[in-house]
Parts: sequence; structure tokens; C-alpha cells
Amino acid sequence: MESLADTLWDVVICGTGLQQSLLALALSRSDKKVLHIDPNDFYGDAEAAFSLQEVESWVEKVQTGKEGLFRAASVEKLEGDTGLSFPRAYSLALAPQLIHARSTLLSQLVSSRAYRQVEFLAVGSFSIFKPSSDPSQSPTLVRIPSTREDVFSTTAISAKAKRGLMKFLKFVLDYESTPQAEAWQPHTDAPLTEFLLKEFKMDKELQTYIVTLTLSLDGGINTRDGLAVIHRHLSSMGLYGPGFAALYPKWGGLSEIAQVSCRAGAVGGAVYMLGTGVKAMNDQEDPIVLELTSGDTIKTRKVVRANESATDESGINRLVAVVSSPLKSLFQSTVEGAPTPAVAVVAFPAGSLSTAAGEASQSPVYLSVHSSDTGECPANQSVLYFTTISKPASQDLLQEALDSFLAAVAGDTVPQCLYQLQYKQLRSSAQSQASGSIFDFAPPRPALAFDDSTLQSVHDAWKMVLGDDAIEEEYLTFADREGAMDDDEVYD
Amino acid sequence: MADSGAPKPSSSVKLVLLGEAAVGKSSLVLRFVNNDFQENKEPTIGAAFLTQKCNLPTRTIKFEIWDTAGQERFASLAPMYYRNAQAALVVYDLTKPTSLIKAKHWVAELQRQASPGIVIALVGNKLDLTNDSAGGDGEGAGGGDGEDARKVTTEEAKSYAEEEGLLFFETSAKTGYNVTEVFTAIANAIPETSLKTARGPGASSAAARTEEQRVNLNGPRDPNAKEGCAC
Ligand SMILES: Cc1cc2nc3c(=O)[nH]c(=O)nc-3n(C[C@H](O)[C@H](O)[C@H](O)COP(=O)(O)OP(=O)(O)OC[C@H]3O[C@@H](n4cnc5c(N)ncnc54)[C@H](O)[C@@H]3O)c2cc1C
Ligand SMILES: Nc1nc2c(ncn2[C@@H]2O[C@H](COP(=O)(O)OP(=O)(O)OP(=O)(O)O)[C@@H](O)[C@H]2O)c(=O)[nH]1
Ligand SMILES: [Mg+2]
Repeated sequence: MESLADTLWDVVICGTGLQQSLLALALSRSDKKVLHIDPNDFYGDAEAAFSLQEVESWVEKVQTGKEGLFRAASVEKLEGDTGLSFPRAYSLALAPQLIHARSTLLSQLVSSRAYRQVEFLAVGSFSIFKPSSDPSQSPTLVRIPSTREDVFSTTAISAKAKRGLMKFLKFVLDYESTPQAEAWQPHTDAPLTEFLLKEFKMDKELQTYIVTLTLSLDGGINTRDGLAVIHRHLSSMGLYGPGFAALYPKWGGLSEIAQVSCRAGAVGGAVYMLGTGVKAMNDQEDPIVLELTSGDTIKTRKVVRANESATDESGINRLVAVVSSPLKSLFQSTVEGAPTPAVAVVAFPAGSLSTAAGEASQSPVYLSVHSSDTGECPANQSVLYFTTISKPASQDLLQEALDSFLAAVAGDTVPQCLYQLQYKQLRSSAQSQASGSIFDFAPPRPALAFDDSTLQSVHDAWKMVLGDDAIEEEYLTFADREGAMDDDEVYD
Repeated sequence: MADSGAPKPSSSVKLVLLGEAAVGKSSLVLRFVNNDFQENKEPTIGAAFLTQKCNLPTRTIKFEIWDTAGQERFASLAPMYYRNAQAALVVYDLTKPTSLIKAKHWVAELQRQASPGIVIALVGNKLDLTNDSAGGDGEGAGGGDGEDARKVTTEEAKSYAEEEGLLFFETSAKTGYNVTEVFTAIANAIPETSLKTARGPGASSAAARTEEQRVNLNGPRDPNAKEGCAC
């Protein structure tokens, strides 16, 4: 086998985050020589999924400031024999994003045949957390009706509110055609809540239902974006089966998609090196000369990397908790023939939580509850991912959200929190860009649902790498490899 | 999916092949999947993915086979393959003692890193090159009469396998000896509870539950979905 240094690489991809990995998938049927490296000793970068052991070494790395956009990471465990299983029984996701059924990511995974290696699970109900007005009562979770059938059958809202909601759902399904567009375009940049109040006379509670469906972290989403997201949600409903609008890849969300993409890259002949980064680069030469941390010096025509510089301190706080209950009531399928959901979403609207010091939440907190069917924890436990926009009180509010949630789902006993991980993930306003033979991916945005705009930069990077060899129709469109078909040959 | 009268539950099992370069991993897969053998098989680059079904009396197992490259220089791929794998076939070459050492490294690695319930089979390949009558008969061209190329005794490997709780087989991808037996034994050793179920009627209750969850991206899309796809 040729050595690294003797090969003239067509592209060196640095990092195995989702974007770089999708690029590897996109190049997997080209005859380009691809070297794919990652300074980490795990796959997935900011989209990785970790066993508890890996969580701990990752937290240490974050604490020494070596983990790009991550900050303030810490782990807390219950002492003693707590029912926590062994470390590898867990797979905690750094990117537990939902993927809407209509996402281009799914159609690209299908057309590239990579979907055969991913198991998708259904995302079930969206609920709102309601604090109780009487302190002796437990808080509750109220399911958001998000289809017409749901609205009909719900007992959570009044008949008048139902009519308003119905009217709105109908409006959104067709919001881009003329009469509808004329109604919302004057409000395009105004907050969605304002539009809902003015045009649909919705009260605060209904506004909250609608805004929750947008999964907007600051709650202040504008009318244009808000309608687009709700439209995506509604039009995704039922696409891959009854009763759900979004999917989740088993074993750690986007991490799994990154790994499956890298595997496809490897099957296509790319060379993979973990634990290896770029130490120095000379791009004045053609080809570019890279000095790797492994000590190798290599030559390549193109380089694709991730920009990991934070532009400011804004971002999200996340709390990941393993709890001692399967939380069955959250994972009921509500429509006949629907798959059992493995993920449920709960929103804590602004103002519904307050810190011990009495400070009320100014932004919503979102919770993604994952059942053990996600492969992220053992049976009879669940993993909770809480997310909120970073503010000084965020850490306390997330703790409060955890406690309140456990109180709301408590039956005879309150489920115990066995393990928790907290961290902050910075946002970056950097854009993906090509300059000469180098392509930089913008860092992933820590959103709650997968954002298709990420895919555009993968496509751009692919075009830069292939240059004149890029055939648009063949982008991520492959036939099954021989032997990998889902054929019906049965071996006896 | 089921092609016989009585539909059986059908489950998929992810299986990874590990072992030193040129021990015959790809050849074993080729024998199992296509019942074929190539005298000069080229080394695997990166990895290969194949599927094959195995019919048991009570169920059908669909193997999703990841054949890795023994030459892989940077060992960066392996963890991706054995992650979530339910079964591993660790292969060595009966005529090459170092390949058993490598195989032991792999077993240790799997025990450390892979899914806890993983079923591991240790497979000594190229039995046709030895004097062992079972594998060498007929086509034992390379081995031939009297000239025994065996360098790893059955006892040594077998007692190691017993200590570690591994399935153990000696095979020849060339003659086909014992190859299907390895896969059938693995299929039988996978605990019923760890089976994820592919679509198919007649699934057992535990498996049927899993089946309920899996979303099929290729399945019939609901024509009543709220909007026709614009693309
Ligand atoms: C995560 C993991 C993945 C592995 N993947 C492979 C693989 O894909 N193919 C394979 O043949 N073996 C692989 N191995 C096994 C590994 O190669 C053996 O453990 C090692 O080569 C045995 O060498 P040693 O202990 O005698 O000496 P070592 O000092 O460990 O190595 C001796 C020589 O082997 C090379 N080497 C060391 N580790 C590896 C490695 N992991 N992969 C490739 N070369 C290595 C070294 O560069 C050196 O030249 C893997 C091991 C691990 C832990
Ligand atoms: N005599 C004999 N030769 C075999 C047997 N199995 C494989 N071979 C030969 O051994 C060589 C290597 O076989 P491969 O199947 O490519 O080995 P591999 O383990 O997949 O090798 P890598 O892909 O490089 O890791 C080929 O020339 C095969 O024909 C066997 O059972 N008997
Ligand atoms: Mg091979």
C-alpha cells in the first residue's frame, strides 16, 4: 500500500462532523483520493454521541478549552449504587436534533442509499409544561393538538379556540398562495405571536402552542420564518407513516448519520485516520502541503475543514439527564397504525419556570425525551435533553425544568435523575466559504430540529472538490452497491 | 418478503468481520453470500458491506455484514463497524500464528468496546491447507498430501475460545467446509431479545414491538399526507 506521503490526495477532509461526513458520502462514488482525518479519537465532532466514559473525557477536554465551541461542561452522578448501568449502555448525543419528514437530508440519505444503514424512529407528541397555580398540586403536561383530527378530539381548549386553531392550520397548509400570502406578508418581520393575535385573534395560550411547534429557541421567531417552520411541520405529518411529522436516527441522532456517511466513504475507498489533525498548512504551494499531527507531511489538491471559532458568547445551554423511569405515558402512539414514538418534545414557555432566587425564565426551555428505544440508555430508563438560550440564569433554570418535569410525570414515585451532563455550546455567525482550494464549513447551529440550509454548504464543498467533474444530477444519487441490496434471496 | 408459505419472523443482525490482512475474511463472506471462491482475491480497501439471509427453523435472520480491511493502517474504521454490532467474526489463518495473536487483540478490543451482548465467533480459516481430512479432502490443492501447513493447533485456539466464551470453528473458504455452519451458529446464538426486527409478518411479540417502531423511509408514503411533494 502506498504511504500517506507518496499519494497525491484530491482532498483532505478535516473533522468528521455531519457536514464533512456527508461530503465524504457525496464523494464516495467519485474516483477521487480522499483522506479523512479528525483530531478527536471519536467520530462526529460537535454531532458526536458518547458513552458515559467518553462523556467524561470529553468534559475534561472542554474544561481545558480544547473543544471548539463547547464551554462550561460538567458531569454530576448520584452517589452509590443508583441503578445506573455500565458506561457503554449509554449513548448521549451532542446533537439530538429532530429531522422533519420533509427534510432534504432524508431524501438525500435515500437517494444515496445510505439510509439502509440508519434506523429511523418516530418523534411523537409535542406538549406544553403547565406550572400549577396551587403549590400543593403537581404541574402538568398538555399535549399540543397539531393535526385537524387532534384539534377535533382535544379537550384541552375551548370550542372557540378550536375554530381559531382550525382556521390557522388550514391557512398554513396553503400559506404561500396569493390570498394567504397577502394576509401575512405585511407582518413578515414582525413576531409570529403578533401576527397570530392580529389576524387570528389567538389568546396567549394558543400563541404559545403555535410558537412551540416552531421550536424557536428565543420564542421571538418572525412571521415569515415561523409560518415556514409550521408549514414544514404540518406537511411532514404522515409522510412516512401516520401520526408523526419528524424522525430521529437511533443510537444518537446526527452522530449516527455522520458515522454511516463515513462508512460509505470508507467503502468508497477513502482513508480514515482518527486522532490526527493538521499541524501546519502551506497553501502557497500547488498542491497544498499539510503537516499532520501524526508527523506525516502530505500533499493534496483541496482541503475541507471546519471553522470552529466562536464569534461571540451567545449560544445555548444544555442539560442531559438520565432518569430512572421509562416514562411510558409520553410514548403512546395516538393514531392507529402509528409506530411507537421514541422521542417526545416538551416546551416550557417563557415565564413557566423560575429559579430558587425567584427569577422567571425569559425564553422557552425545550425538552426532548428519548426512550430506551433510541439505544441511548438501557430499558426502564430515559434520556432527557433540555435546551435553552444562554442567559446568566440558564443553568439554574435547566435544573428547575428538570425538577419540574419529574414532578409533572411522577406517578407513585418521582423518577430519579441518575446522571447529568451540562454544557454550553456557542453559536457562530461564520458562514461556510470557499477560498481558492480551501473550503471552510460554518460550525453547526445548535438548533432543535435539523436545518436543511446546512446541506447547501455540503453541496458547495462537493462542487469545489470535484470542479469540472461535478455532475449535478449525480449529487448524492447512487445505485445500491452489489450485494448490499435488500433482495429476497434466502439462504437455507 | 417471506417467500415460503408460512411466514416467519425476520430479524436483521449486524455482523462485523475482523482479522489480520489476507486471512480470508472476504473469502468467507463470498462463500457465504455467493457460494463462490476466488484464488487471488484482492485486499479489501476501506470496507465492504453485504447482506445475506439465513433461514432458521423458527425465524429468518438477515445478516448485514461489514467486511473490514485487515490492512487498514490507522485502525480508525473498526470502531464504527463494531459499534452496535450484534455479532463479530474474528478470523485468523491456521497457517499463520501471528494472525491468531492479532485475532486475540481483536477479541480483547471487542470485549472492551463493543456492545455488551455481542456474539463473537473465532474462526480459523484455510483448513484446506492442513492435513485435517475434513477440510483438506478433495480440493486441498495447496496443502496436499503429507505437507501440513498447519501452524496453529485446534486445541490451542479452541481452549482460548472456551476461556473467552467464543464460538469456535475451523473453516475453509476455498472448499466451503464449515462456512455456513459459522453463520448458522451465530444466528442461533443471538439472544431473541436483542433482535431488531425487519418488516415482515408473524413476528414474535418482543420483536413485533421493535417492528412497530422502525420507520421505513422507502415504504409507501401516505398519499393523504397534507401536501403533495413538490419535488
Ligand atoms: C481500535 C483498534 C482498531 C484496530 N484496527 C486494526 C485494523 O484495522 N487492522 C489491523 O490489522 N489491526 C487493527 N488493530 C489491531 C492492532 O493492529 C494490533 O493490536 C497491533 O497491530 C498489534 O501490534 P503490537 O501490539 O505487536 O505492536 P504495536 O506497537 O501496537 O504495533 C506494531 C505495528 O503495528 C502498527 N499498528 C499499531 N496499531 C495499529 C492499528 N490499530 N492498526 C493498524 N496498525 C497498527 C504500528 O504502527 C506498528 O507499525 C486495531 C486495534 C485497535 C485497538
Ligand atoms: N487455500 C485457501 N486460501 C484462502 C482461503 N480463504 C482465503 N484464501 C485466499 O487468501 C487470500 C486472502 O483472502 P481474502 O478473503 O482477500 O482475505 P481478507 O482477510 O479479506 O484480506 P483483507 O481484505 O486484505 O483484510 C486470497 O488469495 C484468497 O484466495 C481458504 O480457505 N483456503
Ligand atoms: Mg478482505
